[in-house]
Amino acid sequence: MPPIIKIDNLTKKFGNIMAVDHLTLEIEEGEILGLLGPNGAGKTTTILMLATVIRPTEGTATVGAYDIRKNPDKVRGLLGIVFQEPKMLWVSTPWDIVNWHAKVCGLSTEERKRRVKEVLEALDMWEHRRKNVHALSGGMRKRVELAKVLIQRPKIVIVDEPTAQIDVVGKHRIWNMLRQLREEGTTIILATNELYEADVLSDRVAIMHKGKLLVLDIPKKLKDNIPGGDVVDIQLEKETPQKIVEQLKKFKEVVNVLQVKPSNIRVYLNQVEEVVPRIMNLFMKENMPIASIHISEPSLDDVFAHYTGLTIEEAQKGGE
Amino acid sequence: MRLIWFASQIALFGLIASRMINVQEVPDYFRYYVAGLSVMTLYSAAIFIGFDIYEEAEHGVFEYLLSLPVSRRQLVLGRSIGGGLRAFIYVGPMIGISLYVIGAVNPLGFLVALFALFLFSFGVSGMSITIAVIIKSSDRFDILMGVLDALIVRLSTAMYPLAFVQAANPVYGGVASLNPVTFAADLFRWGTDIITLDNPLLPLLGVIIFFSVFTFVGIVIYDKRIEGGGWQ
Repeated sequence: MPPIIKIDNLTKKFGNIMAVDHLTLEIEEGEILGLLGPNGAGKTTTILMLATVIRPTEGTATVGAYDIRKNPDKVRGLLGIVFQEPKMLWVSTPWDIVNWHAKVCGLSTEERKRRVKEVLEALDMWEHRRKNVHALSGGMRKRVELAKVLIQRPKIVIVDEPTAQIDVVGKHRIWNMLRQLREEGTTIILATNELYEADVLSDRVAIMHKGKLLVLDIPKKLKDNIPGGDVVDIQLEKETPQKIVEQLKKFKEVVNVLQVKPSNIRVYLNQVEEVVPRIMNLFMKENMPIASIHISEPSLDDVFAHYTGLTIEEAQKGGE
Repeated sequence: MRLIWFASQIALFGLIASRMINVQEVPDYFRYYVAGLSVMTLYSAAIFIGFDIYEEAEHGVFEYLLSLPVSRRQLVLGRSIGGGLRAFIYVGPMIGISLYVIGAVNPLGFLVALFALFLFSFGVSGMSITIAVIIKSSDRFDILMGVLDALIVRLSTAMYPLAFVQAANPVYGGVASLNPVTFAADLFRWGTDIITLDNPLLPLLGVIIFFSVFTFVGIVIYDKRIEGGGWQ
């Protein structure tokens, strides 16, 4: 199946600032693509170009069968954007915002009445429909934004920082909604600077920094590609013989073994879930009882640090 | 507040000034002034949409509007008509007061005049949007609108007949005769039987051209300046 979005050399310059630098990538139909990067990485500029809100300086993209430069009206018909905040000045209640959006999307009066009610009820916003949006919590405001795409039902949904400044319960609720949209066949582009969010939601993650695409893959592969990214701390009941350390070092996935204490070793390795059973077997064979074992996998922050030499917080400070 | 201002203009300035003016061309300056004041107020209210553009840009509403599944043409037309309609609704009570003060009207003429005022209001909205997206600075827009208001309103027949403007300076007269405020004011006065016009179709055509040009120019400029990311 051809990709639903094909980005080809997409570039945007604002004066001397290169916001997006020759970005090329493809997005498959029905996937959640996480666009991960610190503030200033070029994520928002990229999605605004895809949504034909701003014109690229160079390069182009096709959305569905349509080129964003040649058929912007058709492209907008396929897309819906969930912004960070409901962006309306002249209407102020959730009902007004969603109803106005439905009207612009061409829903008939009857259908609009029915669908607005359905969607606001599904999002538990029906009883808050007459409140001023400014009086709502961050999570509720985000749900109002989500309601727009649920009304519109576009093929592709672009979500910009969906859970910024939202509590944990609210985050999970929004993540479930996004997963449900994906299950219904919607392609989702998730722009975020939250590593955990990108990790748990995305089928693939594209990491951007300073307008450039650093790497694009499934989260597991990205993490596995960091040499020695997984760490296993093993506490033994007695002192670790040097022979075992040497044997561990012979595993091709093991990058390094440190003897932290006489009975405690730390193993830096890749593909932890495949190697740990073999490590356990080795200790059992050598009759070395294990007191405890602690496994820590690399995060996408480690992936980001691996490619940029910076943590995402450090890059954020540089990007702002 | 605007209504109080409007009523004061009529009850104070209009009544007092009409006692000073006694010329053949304007037998009843009070009615003449009240009609002109309605058009001036409509112009000021329709200009306001330009300030909304800056507010929308500041709050990121532009991005939302530009991402909607509608064409740019529909969007600009919607904004112009919306801005014009809002101005009309806003000024509606004042026009109502004017009609009460002016007195009897010829229903057909008044409907034509009302239609012209609608188009005038949409055209001013389109002009305001066009200038706002070109200028990109709310402070400069504010100053320019003040200057434009002074020139457009004063070089029109909003407050005095064309013959007097012409007599003061032929250039002023030339500008006033092509001014959309003149077209709107003349049509409103014609529709309310304050003045007679040799050919009311000419100012009506002027208002239609004004509306069409600024709506079309608005679409092109909006597209070029906004979609290109120029507001960022």
